Amino acid sequence: MIKFNKNQIFIVTGASSGLGEGTALLLNELGATVVGIARNEERLNAMKAKCKYPENMHLEMKDLTENIEELPQYVKELKNKYGKFSGLAYCAGITSLQPLKLLDINDTKKLFDIDYFAPIFMAKGFADKRNNIGEGASAVFISSLAAKSCNRGMISYSGAKAALISSIRCIAKEYANQKIRFNCVSPSDIKTPMQSWIKDILGEEKNPGWSYPMGMGEVNDVANMIIYLLSDKAKWVTAQNYIVDCGVM
Amino acid sequence: MKKTEFLETLEDILQREEPCNETDILDDYEEWDSLSQMAIMAYYKKNFGISVTLNDLNNLKSVSDLIKLAGDNISD
Repeated sequence: MIKFNKNQIFIVTGASSGLGEGTALLLNELGATVVGIARNEERLNAMKAKCKYPENMHLEMKDLTENIEELPQYVKELKNKYGKFSGLAYCAGITSLQPLKLLDINDTKKLFDIDYFAPIFMAKGFADKRNNIGEGASAVFISSLAAKSCNRGMISYSGAKAALISSIRCIAKEYANQKIRFNCVSPSDIKTPMQSWIKDILGEEKNPGWSYPMGMGEVNDVANMIIYLLSDKAKWVTAQNYIVDCGVM
Repeated sequence: MKKTEFLETLEDILQREEPCNETDILDDYEEWDSLSQMAIMAYYKKNFGISVTLNDLNNLKSVSDLIKLAGDNISD
């Protein structure tokens, strides 16, 4: 059984919805202190209303793409406010459906900002040893099965998520001797607001082009993997990408 | 670049909790490892246009040697 204590402080981005919300709630339930980051105050408050220990759930309103280069400084400010971090779960992200003939450079850059550049620069802030607890600190980044499945219309999303996996491996190798760990988790479609958007525009039977032998995944199916990777149980696990897809690939 | 500014930059590159001083011996820093050296190489190349080799860095003793390596790019 994985347990945390309130002196273990975790940053969770994308904390107002989907996997970020699930991860923030689960960390909090298991005893950790959470700093949940998202853009929307109302939805963040709604997340906090569901948590088990509100005194250990802190909320920060922030658009991570506003000034990506300043994100390391932002992490430092959070450290000054809350203390050194035990972990980071980067769960913010957007998806898009745009086949090549409609590919738009501005849309693609916008997607890369939140799905690739922001996580890398959050990693830069978190990895700074003045901002984390040192040995045992762990960061997990949500990639996607799309990095491997590469379906039609997913050019930007698949590309950004594949790039993230590769860069996180490089970062993991830079920090392995400090025993700070970096991993990715790549879920297939999960029952989240982001997924239902795709389902709405493509229709149930056309999406996602395969069937789930164990049914469609739920938020906690992925959040539990994130929790494991953030915990000391995974102390020898780094530079990996874990696919959570009930075997569809 | 002023020397004081460089010392702050070095503190940041090494991610030290304590400030850096000119007289500090590089090998005394626990942060002075191969990754920090790689970061110094990248910094000198980008900001000073100087290609520093690993050998150059290994021959340095103190922070002031590191400053000398930058030539006119760092002033008092």
